[in-house]
Amino acid sequence: MLDTLKALLATLSLAVAPAWAEDWPAPDWQTDPTPIDWQAVDAYAFPPDGSLRTDALLIIRDGRILHERYAAPTTASTAHLTWSVSKSVLATLLGVAQGEGRFQLQDPVARFYPPMQAHPQVRLGDLLHWASGLAWQEDYEYAPLHSSVVAMLYTRGREDMAAYTAARPAAQLPGQRFLYSSGDSNLLAAALRGMLDAGEYADYPWQALFTPLGINSAVWERDGAGSYVGSSYLYLTARDLARIGLLMQRDGRWRERQLVPATWVAFNRTPFALAEAVPGEANPGGHWWLNTASPGGARPWPHAPADTYAALGHWGQALYVLPTQKLVIVRYADDRGDSYQHDQLLERVLAALAGEGA
Amino acid sequence: MRRVLLVLLVLLALLGVSLGWSGWQARQALADFPGILSAYSAKEYCSCRFVMGFDPAYCRGYVKQWLPLGLLAENSAQRLVTAEGLGRRNQAAWQGARVGCRLLP
Repeated sequence: MLDTLKALLATLSLAVAPAWAEDWPAPDWQTDPTPIDWQAVDAYAFPPDGSLRTDALLIIRDGRILHERYAAPTTASTAHLTWSVSKSVLATLLGVAQGEGRFQLQDPVARFYPPMQAHPQVRLGDLLHWASGLAWQEDYEYAPLHSSVVAMLYTRGREDMAAYTAARPAAQLPGQRFLYSSGDSNLLAAALRGMLDAGEYADYPWQALFTPLGINSAVWERDGAGSYVGSSYLYLTARDLARIGLLMQRDGRWRERQLVPATWVAFNRTPFALAEAVPGEANPGGHWWLNTASPGGARPWPHAPADTYAALGHWGQALYVLPTQKLVIVRYADDRGDSYQHDQLLERVLAALAGEGA
Repeated sequence: MRRVLLVLLVLLALLGVSLGWSGWQARQALADFPGILSAYSAKEYCSCRFVMGFDPAYCRGYVKQWLPLGLLAENSAQRLVTAEGLGRRNQAAWQGARVGCRLLP
């Protein structure tokens, strides 16, 4: 009898354990004390010769910190520039808005942002796929003269970045071709304004996303028209960016609350069917980057599982989510070159975890 | 130095034309070009100092480009940054705790 009871209790505890043993950074991240040898990871991310300049590396497994390292002057309390990681966080913020019934993917952008009446066929889903069809040149420092993004951020676009983008000519039919464009992201940020009541916009990223996640470090800069620079200018501590990662890893749920619809996260993680695979480059999903295999079978990051996805930014900023491994990895950097390889870092992290306890 | 820049601009213009730009677009981009350096420096230095909270020496290095600036000055009390380069002047200022820095018109 006692044995039966014991077995019953054991079964029950197994069944119940995941629900109450789930770790959340509420209020702060807890640490997983498992000893793991991070030497190869650190040797890659923090090379003594400075060939890569990692500012922060934070590895979270199932809601607990496994490894955390910073390089001066960045610390755990630095709200670091995320550059284009901002775009994917904007998409997650839009997921909250979508869950509130404020828009549908097939809605024309012009419904929420009138200057897009110049391009009435462009839909919100097209912007999320970076497929507005608007003429755009994303090159940064190698072609400052004809870069649309430099003009948008620093010269003729800076007072109103969405208006600058909406005034671009159409180069393609919308929804037909992937063309990475910070302008498309800023059109999304301006469209969000049109989905909200007057006066709600300034507080919305905090009320809808940051505060529920316990994010206290967020700074999101705006253009001269007051629109969030959704393409580029979100700042977060590494620990706070990891909260976005954990929300994504858990399919939009934060503790008991489904903050972002699971269907929205699934959209973020679905490859844009019309994007052509570029060898070694992550594939565009719904404003997040995917490690899905090309038709030929090759994954952009061969050592990482196919379900890996990420938010990526200039100079090596990255937030990786590995759902099967329950991993969230934040890397902040100031690389100034292109030698950093996502695959190298992920390979070494996975190898370190494979050697766990060895 | 000025002559070098002139030659550079002419080369860039030729490059623009050879890339198949319309003359109007090329003129617009050329007119904008000298302002990029000071605008970039003012904005990113402001955010480096007053959003990320790094020290002035680090932030000077952080915004450094291959073209030199004539001036990069901060008014810490007002959290206002002025940059000059290629004959153009730009200012960025801290706007608040949640919204960080922005280029001034």
